[in-house]
Amino acid sequence: MSWSVATRLARAWHRLVFRWRRVELARDLAEEIEFHRALHQNANRRAGLLPQAALELSHRQMGNLTLASEECRDMWSFMRLERFLQDLRYAARMFARTPGFTAIAVLSLAVGIGGNAAMFSLVDALLVRPLPYPHPDRLIRITGIDPRAAVSAFQQQSRTMDIAASSVGSDFNLTGQGEAARIFGTAVSANLFSVLAAPAARGRTFQTGEDAPGRDAVVVLSYSLWKTRFDGDPSILGRVIALDGMHRQVIGIMPAGFSYPSSKVQLWIPLRLDPSNFLEYWGGEFVPLVARLRPGATVQQARSEIHALVERFRKTFPYPMARDWNADATAIPLQQDLVGDIRGKLIILLASVGLVLLIACVNVASLLLSRATARRKEIALRVALGASRLRIIRQLMTESVLLALVGGGLGILLGMSVLSIFKSVLPSSTPGLAQAGIDWQVAGAIAALALATGLAFGFAPALSASQVDLSSSIKSGSQRSTGTVWTRLRSWLIASEVAFTVVLVVSSGLLIRSLYSLSEANPGFEPARILTVRISPDQSACTKRPACIALYGGLLERADKVPGVEDAALANTVPLDGELPTLAVDVERHPKSADFPAPMFWAGAVSPDYLRMLRIPLLSGRRFTEADGEKSAPVVLISAATARRFWPGENPVGKHVKSTDESQWRTVVGVVGDVRQFRLSQGLPNWVAGAMYMPYPQAVRQDGQIPAAMTLLVRASAAGEGLVTRIRQLAVDQDPDAPVGQVQPLEQVVSASIADFRSTIRVFISFAAAAILLAAIGIYGLVSYWVTQRTYEIGLRVAIGATRQRILSMILAQGLRVALYGIGAGLVAALALTRFLASLLYGVQASDPLTFLAVTALVLGVAITATAFPAWRAARIDPVRSLRVE
Amino acid sequence: MGRPQPTSELLPGTLDLLILRTLAPGPMHGYGIAQRLKQVSEDVLQVGESSLYPALQRLLLNGWVKPEWGASENNRRARYYTLTAAGRKQLAREREEFDRVIGAIQKVLDMV
Repeated sequence: MSWSVATRLARAWHRLVFRWRRVELARDLAEEIEFHRALHQNANRRAGLLPQAALELSHRQMGNLTLASEECRDMWSFMRLERFLQDLRYAARMFARTPGFTAIAVLSLAVGIGGNAAMFSLVDALLVRPLPYPHPDRLIRITGIDPRAAVSAFQQQSRTMDIAASSVGSDFNLTGQGEAARIFGTAVSANLFSVLAAPAARGRTFQTGEDAPGRDAVVVLSYSLWKTRFDGDPSILGRVIALDGMHRQVIGIMPAGFSYPSSKVQLWIPLRLDPSNFLEYWGGEFVPLVARLRPGATVQQARSEIHALVERFRKTFPYPMARDWNADATAIPLQQDLVGDIRGKLIILLASVGLVLLIACVNVASLLLSRATARRKEIALRVALGASRLRIIRQLMTESVLLALVGGGLGILLGMSVLSIFKSVLPSSTPGLAQAGIDWQVAGAIAALALATGLAFGFAPALSASQVDLSSSIKSGSQRSTGTVWTRLRSWLIASEVAFTVVLVVSSGLLIRSLYSLSEANPGFEPARILTVRISPDQSACTKRPACIALYGGLLERADKVPGVEDAALANTVPLDGELPTLAVDVERHPKSADFPAPMFWAGAVSPDYLRMLRIPLLSGRRFTEADGEKSAPVVLISAATARRFWPGENPVGKHVKSTDESQWRTVVGVVGDVRQFRLSQGLPNWVAGAMYMPYPQAVRQDGQIPAAMTLLVRASAAGEGLVTRIRQLAVDQDPDAPVGQVQPLEQVVSASIADFRSTIRVFISFAAAAILLAAIGIYGLVSYWVTQRTYEIGLRVAIGATRQRILSMILAQGLRVALYGIGAGLVAALALTRFLASLLYGVQASDPLTFLAVTALVLGVAITATAFPAWRAARIDPVRSLRVE
Repeated sequence: MGRPQPTSELLPGTLDLLILRTLAPGPMHGYGIAQRLKQVSEDVLQVGESSLYPALQRLLLNGWVKPEWGASENNRRARYYTLTAAGRKQLAREREEFDRVIGAIQKVLDMV
């Protein structure tokens, strides 16, 4: 039928009005029909019928009006919607009647969905959402290790890419703006911003040529630095600020979201490309390269070009390079590189959260399945009253979807808190991490997830329930109805749930053992009662060696006099503080070759008392003394591992090492214990071949200068706030222009170094706990259901002489069989999966038998407990009553 | 809507047209409409009450007729239906459509 728009509007409007007035309308219709019948009756009377006959005939003449008024009522309402609302009301009533079941189901789902919500928003922010630059797919990272010289060479020669570079970044002293501060910044090639196509929010970014010496006294600020340090004052543009003592003009402010290469970066200075500065240009710091593919160029072309560029560039080095230098350099998508090793961690988290959701779904499905069976009688009654099978399925599906949606709603709330936990597990400098949040997109995805979950776990129970054999169900009620297929399905579900649980518990067990090993690991030093404070004057303050030696000598003397201080020492780094000072060194009688270039040594610069203070043992030779001064013969101490590596079976005392850039050899005067300088789990990174200590007055950096930034350590006789402030004040008074960090107990530095690991473990433990709880509920539900189903049979068994113990062990055995299948499958799965955790483990094998054994015992114990309650109830069944029920 | 018309003797959709046409001269109640149809069609078109009232509700819903309670010939309360402006337009449209279809059917039946 073709209706005009006006008619359609009228229909919709009338329907709405009729919906509200339907009681009145029904009354009108009834009256109208009765009037109609009365007229028939009158006509019949006039035709000569007796009153009774006239009445009866009039009723017959009217025909079947029930259907007609039904049809009219349909027109006065939104039938489909009303039926749905009715289902919903009914479902809500059902749930309200069984609050325990409802709470368990909703909470299970909330846990599963909440975890997934958090995970989804993280994955979305870190892996899916493209980088916030135009055409992010054209941005690539050129892998490999390149000196600054490579930047200009590659820039000139490349035909497929526009290449830019950025340094890894370092702290700068910002002075002349209130208290001196340490600001993290990075040096970038002048074209970096144009390669990323990221314009400044205010002012401008670097122009071509501003990375050349003499023109590079400029700086671009991050939005947050501008807001916090400069109060968002727009007149900062064009002003000059002092960074590490060098004056730079502020030329631009980046927009709020810009964070390259990481969100730690607060300012950008030009990466100086100065061929006359030989050391900086060819050696020193390596700079990661980023590039944008030129229009028309493909990644494949870029890769082969990189290969050619590297090959050509290797030959231009002023000293021979190893043949395999950057041999595997290639191009990878920039996004993949920025996400880096978080990817693995993220995938592990995602997988375990997925497992929890799976367990939750299984649980709810199993609960619904048993409920559907328990409701056979009710459903059979509804079928008998004329409900179609479709209608029954729709009713049951409405229930499960309602359950899922409520669970999803709670899940979103839960997800917000879970997300903040996840964020604490990942390094805060991850680009995009701060932006991760539960937005409408994520919420939409969760709604879809909840809906899908509801449909998925509601389908089997609905199908099972709708296959009701009418007469037998109504007659027998729920007591003996079988439905073996569905019961078996439930057993399978619970067994798989136990298996998932075992995987999660094994994973967290392994992590807990790792944490224990870590806390038991000997770090090689004694952090108790030691306070540290970092003082970082500009390197320019130390261009004259004696000035700096005198400066810190004075500081030590004054620190020693502070009441409450037993001992004071200085070091350029303390263990596990994240600093990693290194030197390229020559080792006596270990000639360098093209394939074995100069080894890198961890290079400590310490005052004489440092080693004794941290209880680092002296293994042979002597310690430093005050006599090891600036003018005396240069000496070093090496670590035990270094001695073993370079002089195996020999006495290293008396051997020599030196920085590659100095001429005078330094004599090894002693060997000290190994210290985990960088990581509690690892000691030093692989590329650091050894560790050596130099007396502070003789210490050098790669550039030959004495280290300017140092940490003051004091051993406190009694801890107290007073001491903390006195120590900090001491450091501040030393040089008002030198930024001073917070006073930190060394023990805190140590524990902060594994904070990431701890929170990862916390996450896993909470997953595992949720899984165990859910599994226990699942087993309990399953066995209770069996017992209810078999009340009659058990009563019969008792009546013919079965003892209580026999009934108890029968039910226990049945429950345990399911649990054992699950545990078996779970152990196999865990063996296969835990090796993906290997990167997070320390001091424990991924297949650690003890952990596997303990987890088996734990899960079995939980299974027995969960089975015991219903089994005990079964054993107390009164045969007389259970048989009489039938 | 796609609901099948219960009056199988009539062409689909013609009941609405017949009711609208019957109401064209002036307001009538349900019984009157049924009697009028029967009388004019010389007992050929017998509209059952079970199709008449849903049809009237449909016309109400579409806004083509409007109901009004009034006193009947024998002084009982009766519901009278009046054609609205939209109903009049619809009548003209449906009548034209009906003529077109009937003409077409006639042509097919008359072919040699």
